[in-house]
Amino acid sequence: MSTFSGLGTALSSLIAQRMALDVAGQNIANVNTPGYTRQRADMTSIAGTVVPSMFSTNDGVGNGVQITGISRLGDLFLDTRVRTETAGASFLSARASAYTTLEAGLGEPGETGLANQLSDMWNAWQDLANTPDKTSAGAVVLENSRAVADRIATLYSNVRTQWDQSRASTVALVAEANAAAANVADLNARILQIQNSGGSANELMDQRDLLVTQLSSLVGASASYREDGQVDVLVGGNALVSGARSHALAVQGATSFAAATGDADAVPPVPGQSVTVVWAENPGLGAGLDGGEVAGLLTVLAPPDGTGNGGALTEAAASLDDLATALATQVNALHNGARTVPVPPATVGDLGGDFFSFDAGQPPALGLRVAIETPADIAVAADGAGALDGSVAKAIGDLGKAAGSPDSLWSKTVVDIGSRTASLTARAKVAEVARAAAESQQLAQASVNEDEETINMLAFQRGYEAASRVLTSIDEMLDTLINRTGIVGR
Amino acid sequence: MIPRVTHQTIQRQTLANLQNNLSAMAALQAQMSSGKKINVPSDDPAAASDVLRLRSDQRVLAQYARNVSDGNSWLTTVDSALNSSLTILRRARDLTVQGGDGALGPDSREALATEIEGLREALLDQANTTYVGRTVFAGTSNAGRAFDDTYTFTGSPTANPVERRVGAAQNIRVDSDGAKVFGEGAGSVFALLDDIATTLRAGGDPTDRLDDIDVHMSNMLQEVSSVGARQNQMDRANAAITDTKLTVTTQLSGIEDIDLAEVILELQTQEVTYKGALGAAARVLQPSLLDFLR
Repeated sequence: MSTFSGLGTALSSLIAQRMALDVAGQNIANVNTPGYTRQRADMTSIAGTVVPSMFSTNDGVGNGVQITGISRLGDLFLDTRVRTETAGASFLSARASAYTTLEAGLGEPGETGLANQLSDMWNAWQDLANTPDKTSAGAVVLENSRAVADRIATLYSNVRTQWDQSRASTVALVAEANAAAANVADLNARILQIQNSGGSANELMDQRDLLVTQLSSLVGASASYREDGQVDVLVGGNALVSGARSHALAVQGATSFAAATGDADAVPPVPGQSVTVVWAENPGLGAGLDGGEVAGLLTVLAPPDGTGNGGALTEAAASLDDLATALATQVNALHNGARTVPVPPATVGDLGGDFFSFDAGQPPALGLRVAIETPADIAVAADGAGALDGSVAKAIGDLGKAAGSPDSLWSKTVVDIGSRTASLTARAKVAEVARAAAESQQLAQASVNEDEETINMLAFQRGYEAASRVLTSIDEMLDTLINRTGIVGR
Repeated sequence: MIPRVTHQTIQRQTLANLQNNLSAMAALQAQMSSGKKINVPSDDPAAASDVLRLRSDQRVLAQYARNVSDGNSWLTTVDSALNSSLTILRRARDLTVQGGDGALGPDSREALATEIEGLREALLDQANTTYVGRTVFAGTSNAGRAFDDTYTFTGSPTANPVERRVGAAQNIRVDSDGAKVFGEGAGSVFALLDDIATTLRAGGDPTDRLDDIDVHMSNMLQEVSSVGARQNQMDRANAAITDTKLTVTTQLSGIEDIDLAEVILELQTQEVTYKGALGAAARVLQPSLLDFLR
């Protein structure tokens, strides 16, 4: 132990305490920074020289303190859990919000919904059955029937618009994911450089981890950490980011609603196309997304599967097509064989043709039209009955209550979408609670506690003060030794 | 393990709780302001299906009620036409009996014949009674008159009666078969009256036609009772419709209307909870160690 080594010890403490105080300052500065993980200056005592030798001056006391590094107090497992839960929650939330929008567009159960419009139409037919000779009653039937056809078409085009918007947002989200992946790759490269040069890249790691979590939310990515501090981001088992390289994703498949719904009535039937996410470098290879918002949107965009369990939007469109077809078929079947009201002196009217028709080349729900132009062309009388017979109109008016009526199809569609919405919303809520719990655990570990940092500041300040006191007392000791020793009798 | 607590976790937790409380309040307020429990099908899919069915029932019942009131008008028209016809025919019968008096001079006979012809005219008018443009005795005919000047019945066959739908499976006939009530062509009550007038003018004895008049009268009486029975049916149907309407409205209200007292109570409770959460947030987020260090 040399005479002056105590000075060095005190100095090392002064340096270490100041550095620790700086770290506490950095923590406090970032108390509200998203993604910031608290840091700690790691202090290690410096051992004394322990080499035994004849003239060794070591007295076994250590040589002070040193900062060995600034560690990031995150927890890999908690981070992983947050990402897994985020991927699941985003997936369900995307689906639930698509169903909620779809459901809100139905306008049921409301005073102005399609169900009420159908009822109004059937009632108008009954009124016409009561007064076949009144053109006003016929005009009401035509108006109400047109209103129903318009409403079905509006519902269909709402669904189509939602599909178009969902597809556009899928493309936007995939672009966002690609940008985030490129950022992660870039940060990986910089982190590696900094770590190789012995620096601390904690803040860059925070940014990178935030981006990886964002990727989990978008495309359900998972992360795997390398020894050298870089992170690989995996999607469906393949690398989205591998070290300093990122691989882009691309959206493929149906580009229009018509392509997604297919055409079940065509000969041969045209199956609906899926929208898929593939690797841009290898378009034949699907990305196999199993979580995240994009995967949720892909299920929403999916084609109908014939059992009602396909994509939300295409299934809704298929239901509307069925509804339009059933309405036209049932009304036409009765209307075709009936006779119009004859103009006296004629006592037998003309045979009524189709009441509803479809525009060619359009899906039934969109192409449904009232083929009759004037009230006089509505056929209300049974063939062979009297001129002012209204029995066919009455039979058409009764269709609403019959089994397999358009009303019952619509009610089934509404209830189906409603129960799916309810169940998905409930599941999305549960997933969100799980995600929030995982995030709160992660935050509990990683976020800055101001009280704790204040205490740390106190401790480091006191440490600094004490080290300077040590310095002073050694100085005084040396002063005694140097200036006051050997002056006896002077 | 006791989790580490930081200001950030408290902030997040507080925010999430406030958000939950507020959204619960918003849901209750939506119920209060709309008065409905079910605003979208997912609020209660099973109940939504009931609501759709009951709403449609309501509209169908309203239509049945319209049909009933239309049918009632038809039946009333038929009934009053039949009663007037009976009065006319009774008068004609009285005149015929008078015409049987052999002491009557030609002038008196002429007067009787003229009056009977006038009665025939009135009877034909009754037979051609219309309700909003439809001849009530000619069924589904569009000729505009049930009987023309040659007493030919223009109506359609009895197979196609005019009916009104008053229930899911109940139709009530609202017209009357003119051919059955008044007879057709030469066999009609009009031809009979003409015949009597001719007999009177020719100085003959018309009383041997009294039996024919009685036959027509009994036909009319039969129809009057039939119309009365149908009107009774109509009234019963109307009562049933009113009853069912009430039931459906009650059911609908039970399913979709809120229990106001309950919602108000829940809203109050929620408000207290929300205020509590706000108070807690204000207290917890305020202090830190820095407030106490000098």
